[in-house]
Amino acid sequence: MAADGISVQKLNGDFNAPFINAENMQNNMKVINYSRTLMSIVGGIIAGILGFTGLTGFIFYFVVMAVTSVGLAAKAKFSIHSYFEGWNRVLLDGFLAGLMSFVLFWTFAYDIVHIF
Amino acid sequence: MAEDLVLDTTIRDWVLIPLSVVMVLIGILRYFVSKLIRTFQNPDGKIVKEGQVVIRARNLRSSADFIPPKSFRARRTYYSNEENGILHVPKGQAPNPQAQMFSDPNMAMDMMKKNLSMIIPQTLTFAFVNFFFSGFVAAKIPFPLTQRFRSMLQNGIDLSTVDVSYVSSRSWYFLNLFGLRGLFSLILGEENAMDDTQRMMQMGGFGFDPSKSLGAEKDSLDIVQHDWVLPKFEQRAEAVLRKLAK
Repeated sequence: MAADGISVQKLNGDFNAPFINAENMQNNMKVINYSRTLMSIVGGIIAGILGFTGLTGFIFYFVVMAVTSVGLAAKAKFSIHSYFEGWNRVLLDGFLAGLMSFVLFWTFAYDIVHIF
Repeated sequence: MAEDLVLDTTIRDWVLIPLSVVMVLIGILRYFVSKLIRTFQNPDGKIVKEGQVVIRARNLRSSADFIPPKSFRARRTYYSNEENGILHVPKGQAPNPQAQMFSDPNMAMDMMKKNLSMIIPQTLTFAFVNFFFSGFVAAKIPFPLTQRFRSMLQNGIDLSTVDVSYVSSRSWYFLNLFGLRGLFSLILGEENAMDDTQRMMQMGGFGFDPSKSLGAEKDSLDIVQHDWVLPKFEQRAEAVLRKLAK
């Protein structure tokens, strides 16, 4: 969301000649990873400050990730296929990598606000 | 066991926060130091040339359908015929990367520098954390865990009655070590996050062999099914125009 995605040129029609600009595709993936990491850190801090514990926190993580996915899709004007390889990329990429950052910042904020 | 421990606020002010800040700062320092000592080696002309040939062949392959069959065949022959096609690598001439590496001391030096820039800061940080912050119950994880995680999360305090979700300072260091990677990729740019994994790849695969990628590209160029799209473009144009007219 910080940087703009660049459209990957792709002719789609009744013949199979997908024409993908690899560099732009890579840039778009970078944007996805960037926004996911940012959202997981921000989400972790929010979850910690609000004092979520146990399952609630993880559910919150899923909600945050879902919101991110919707945001990314909206940024691509819901024409996913002209920017990314498919829905999987938008929905799942960077999901597990973000979880680690989320847990760390969740714990950090929770401890600072609630434990001591 | 179920009762909450009361943690002193000075632990937060003098252990938890300093420890995390130190981890972040050391990560940034490490990034800039490794940037400083990294040597830029001039790429070998031959390797660059081969890389460009591969890219050209790939472009031909991906847009093969836009040129007439005759032109495609001519280009394919230029790339991949068995006598003097530019993708064809004669047997036995492929350079051996292993031998190349031993003949070039710079390469070994470079690898050693990379390794050192990874190992030294980690050892130092660990010693630092052990010296200043050992033995505190520094944090509590906001979700329950099973007994198995005790050795992971309570490294450094030997109490079996404390609830597992309490984290010792040394284990907080480890959590930081893994969890801060995301933060670093945000504040230092993408290359930092990729560096570690790429280093691992290089150690495993030991560079890549350009002649191999030439051969692979040649093979995939050979099996391309050419199907000229220009005759079908009329229909496509018709479809587009119909859509517009609606």
